[in-house]
Amino acid sequence: MKALVVIPAYNEAAALPGLLAALRRDAPGVDACVVDDGSRDGTAEVAARAGVEVLRLAVNLGIGGAVQAGYLLARRRGADAAVQLDGDGQHDPAELEALLAPLRRGEADLVVGSRFLRGGGFRSSPGRRAGIRYLSWFLRLRCGVRVTDPTSGYRAAGRAAIELFADAYPSDYPEPESIALAHRAGLRVLEVAVTMRPRSHGASSIDLPRTLYYLARVSLALLFLPARSRPGRSVEVSP
Amino acid sequence: MSPAPILPPSLQLLALAVLVSFLAWVVRLLRTHRLSVRDSLAWLLTTLAAIAATAFPSLLVGVAQLVGIHVPSNAVFAAGLVYVAVNTLSLTISGSSTAAATRRLTQECALLRAEVARLSARVERRGPDEP
Repeated sequence: MKALVVIPAYNEAAALPGLLAALRRDAPGVDACVVDDGSRDGTAEVAARAGVEVLRLAVNLGIGGAVQAGYLLARRRGADAAVQLDGDGQHDPAELEALLAPLRRGEADLVVGSRFLRGGGFRSSPGRRAGIRYLSWFLRLRCGVRVTDPTSGYRAAGRAAIELFADAYPSDYPEPESIALAHRAGLRVLEVAVTMRPRSHGASSIDLPRTLYYLARVSLALLFLPARSRPGRSVEVSP
Repeated sequence: MSPAPILPPSLQLLALAVLVSFLAWVVRLLRTHRLSVRDSLAWLLTTLAAIAATAFPSLLVGVAQLVGIHVPSNAVFAAGLVYVAVNTLSLTISGSSTAAATRRLTQECALLRAEVARLSARVERRGPDEP
């Protein structure tokens, strides 16, 4: 199975070398691509020096646009799986295989790594956990999909999900909404247990007002899911 | 004896002059390709409606009475708000579609850049072309 690891990175020059080395050690033979979302700290150069493919976005698009660039590359390369892995060191490359296994077995189209399926690891603050529980409840209510960690950005997409996300991927706060989109498109969404770590560099920018804003935005997005894409609207013309 | 006009003629003329020159400006922008037909539509329609209401104030009074506004000037304020709201929304819509286009173009650019880097690396490995 041809897998492509997509690492969205914005000013992660400090965290990337360690992550890429771990990736090479723990998941040898897997192609990786760093999507540099308009960083100003030499993220792209650091990634290129480490020998991975780099997609340089000339304009900062935010996490959704960056991840989607990775899905576009995966589609163009004819990859069987695209794995999203955050550039800030929260996700352990050693668990890549756990995410890919259900795709390999043909049991799922989108595999989400959940930090809540088993104990231990970095579980975030109580306030943020409550927010995640609420989102998980809201997703089930709105779409009937059961996911314990809808905000997780550690996930593997099979061919059908790559196809879907290359054409339609939410631009801000994309994680919960993309699960809803996949489920609605008839894709099988499955969770596997992963252990998350605190960020290796920098501070996560999450306080109470931001968390509430995030929850409101995501709720709104889930409430008004975009209309199903019309067939034939976004046809790839390039080979 | 005719009743007092709803709008003093001098004010009416001034308002018409402002609206018509505004309309002329929009048309000029259109003809010099600085404004797209799609983006101009909301401005043209709402400005034409404003001209109609200024030229025939009785129209506005009629509408005001129909919806139960007693003071015609309040109807003018309400119509003005709607005018601004419609045009702001159409502006936001075109902003959103521009953002979507920027996003896809940026991604496409990044993919092409990576492709060019790959190809030029391959060319360099092969050595310089024969003259």
